[in-house]
Amino acid sequence: MSAVTGQPRTRLAVAPWQALRRSGLGPGLLMLLVVVSLNIALQPDFFSGSSLSGNIATFAPTILICVAQAVIVLSRELDLSLGAGVSLINCVMASLPQDKLGGPLGVIAVAVLVALLLGAVNGLLVAYAGLPSLVATFATGAIWFGLALTIMPQPGGVISDAIGDGYAGTLLGIPVPLLIIAVAMACWALLARHRAGRRIIAVGSNPEAAAVAGIPLRRTKLLAYLVAWMLVCLGAIAISAQTMSGDPRLGQSYTLASVAAVVIGGVSLGGGRGTPWGALIGALVLGLVTNVIYFAGISSSWQEFVKGFVIVAALGFMVLEGRRRA
Amino acid sequence: MTETLPLPPACVTARRISKSFGGVAALDSVDLAPRPGRVLGLLGANGSGKSTLCRIIAGEMMSDGGELLVDGQPARFTTPKDAVRRGVVIAHQHPSLAPDLPVWENLFLGMERCGRGGFVSRAGSRRAAWHMLQAVGLDIDIDQPVERLSAAEQQLVEIARALSREPRLLILDEPTAALSAALVDRLFAHVRALAASGTAIIFISHRLQEVEALCDDLVVLRNGRRVGSWELDGSLDEARVLDLLTGDSDAPARLTERKPRDTQDVVLTLEGLCAGQALRGVDLDLHSGEILGIAGLQGQGQEQLLDTVAGFRRKDGGRILHRGRALSPHRPRDMIRRGICLVPNDRHRQGLFMDQTVGENLAAVALAMQPRPWRLRRRRLAEFVRQTIPRLLIKTRGPTQPVATLSGGNQQKVVIGKWLEGPVDVLLLSDPTKGVDLRARREIYDTIGDLVAGGSAALVYASDIHELLHHCDRILVMYEGRVVETLSGSAMTEQRVIAASFGRAA
Repeated sequence: MSAVTGQPRTRLAVAPWQALRRSGLGPGLLMLLVVVSLNIALQPDFFSGSSLSGNIATFAPTILICVAQAVIVLSRELDLSLGAGVSLINCVMASLPQDKLGGPLGVIAVAVLVALLLGAVNGLLVAYAGLPSLVATFATGAIWFGLALTIMPQPGGVISDAIGDGYAGTLLGIPVPLLIIAVAMACWALLARHRAGRRIIAVGSNPEAAAVAGIPLRRTKLLAYLVAWMLVCLGAIAISAQTMSGDPRLGQSYTLASVAAVVIGGVSLGGGRGTPWGALIGALVLGLVTNVIYFAGISSSWQEFVKGFVIVAALGFMVLEGRRRA
Repeated sequence: MTETLPLPPACVTARRISKSFGGVAALDSVDLAPRPGRVLGLLGANGSGKSTLCRIIAGEMMSDGGELLVDGQPARFTTPKDAVRRGVVIAHQHPSLAPDLPVWENLFLGMERCGRGGFVSRAGSRRAAWHMLQAVGLDIDIDQPVERLSAAEQQLVEIARALSREPRLLILDEPTAALSAALVDRLFAHVRALAASGTAIIFISHRLQEVEALCDDLVVLRNGRRVGSWELDGSLDEARVLDLLTGDSDAPARLTERKPRDTQDVVLTLEGLCAGQALRGVDLDLHSGEILGIAGLQGQGQEQLLDTVAGFRRKDGGRILHRGRALSPHRPRDMIRRGICLVPNDRHRQGLFMDQTVGENLAAVALAMQPRPWRLRRRRLAEFVRQTIPRLLIKTRGPTQPVATLSGGNQQKVVIGKWLEGPVDVLLLSDPTKGVDLRARREIYDTIGDLVAGGSAALVYASDIHELLHHCDRILVMYEGRVVETLSGSAMTEQRVIAASFGRAA
């Protein structure tokens, strides 16, 4: 009972099962196990090379956008404009003259600039103007969508073949989509060990304590938005590489998906708790659920229904887990 | 004034500091000069401006007037970090920690120990954290999130963090409120050693015996003014301090003895009450007209006992009998209908709606419990609020004042007052005077006394033994989830309570 005793109780390592419980990844991993089993049952060649690399290429954008949302949620904010931002970046890319601007690298540079601009606008509105992120980013999402429609009222335009081929190819024998995911996660892993990343989590966990401890709240939140939008940019480029054209409605479904993945992955919407690894697991669960629907021959109109169901189940898991802890 | 004596010059001096909130002066031209190597006791009722003064000195708040001097040079602290840079560190009464982060990270919050390129050096931080906690006598798993720690442990983490920043001036804002006696002794030893090495210390406490034991100098604030200051030489003139604190020289320095009452009727009986790890078979009888105190070290199940009786926490076994009838509380609502009311431990989170007004808070229970929910009894509620404010001596501008702007003592009176619209048969109070000044404390116990005089009863847990000794008819001592001692009459002594608290008979 009493934790103040004369005996040293400080341990150097945490037991693995305890680490798992603390991480909040349990429910997400369980769901991943279930959907992977279903996938294997429905699609016997699930683990074959072509099927795996196809899946990874499809899932990469979702994963990147979900991890982005996780970074923002960790700082106790939310971004409901991610999906529309993806569309806008995609439309800008597709409407650029692909052979000028120094080729594909120029197009990618413009995409990065646009993403940074969108992230900065959201970050400034939320952190510096103090608007509630739920409403502010919902509104800016409408603005991004409007801009995307203005640039490209109908789906069209082209993305240079170099980007598409690059995404479908391999580098050092590793498929590029897998490499992109790995780079994104490595960036997070570094950030999580860096003062800046720790401060994002501290601000999300208790903003007042962070402020009293001398952590600059506004700058830290802005940073979270900028980091997240770099990941969103990467996601948008990956999708563009797959579709090879522009579509102002392309990103629509990613906003809900990113919030869902964060919840499934055990990232607390109250901030401060969870890891982007959870968001990665959540994104995989959502992607594989879509696969299951497809391969089981269920009408795709049930997709949203099933996704919503999965999200509610994940929330239920979290509540049960919280109750057990209390 | 002590300032004329030949003492080392103050490292940080607050000169003529003034501050007002919404037109009300919280500090009016206050001077404070803590000196290296000495512990300065800062006493004052809640709302006297102690915390405001300390927050200004620590850079968490800007003063409206006056100035801060560091080594004789004017200094301006616009952020806590400015103050820390100049060696001014504060440990807050309510720990300001990030609940999700591990203990070791909280110790370095905002001052991370980093290696090359800003990466946090984990091994070095953890090792340093372990030593920092050892220094304050805390031996816990430093990798667990802070939210798992008890209030006392969190307080020690907060203090350890302040100590580690090598302060020239250390401000301890009610550091002992959540600590047990043994931990207080340990902390005091540490503070004395720190003072001996040349640190200036400001110590805030509501416990006079702690001030007497620790402090070299004393400053008393009342209503934002400095009303007295002198050097202590090991003893404290309690009557003089109480006079200065209350500004009321007629008030008795000691509490009047409570008259013995008829204590035949049993109001509440607990038989082998169990709940989780905290309660392991509690037996007690609560008699009509009595104030029954629950003592013991921190975390022996006292808070859980009150929560369980109030229906706020599930019981696993045993019986609760109210006026002879067995109850199995499932919801607080069931208990409130029977007049079993809880004044919870954490008044900010469980006792009040902090963003609402005094009137709304006082009427909250009546609104929730009214028999016909579709008919608001506006006039009756307004009348109830109007009568309750003077009845409990709540110091407020009126029912529309936001409850968050009241002092701690007056907030607590609102928490008690909200129950008075309905019948109160058993009043459960969990550390009701935590962070409450002496005068309000007396008024709160007067209210409780008036209530039980009508035939109901009160069950009080308080972390301060003296408070229980002063106000209770009988005292139960809890140890590891059980009642180990019942004391009444002349057997109610500090010595016997403390002995029983450690699980020993005196």
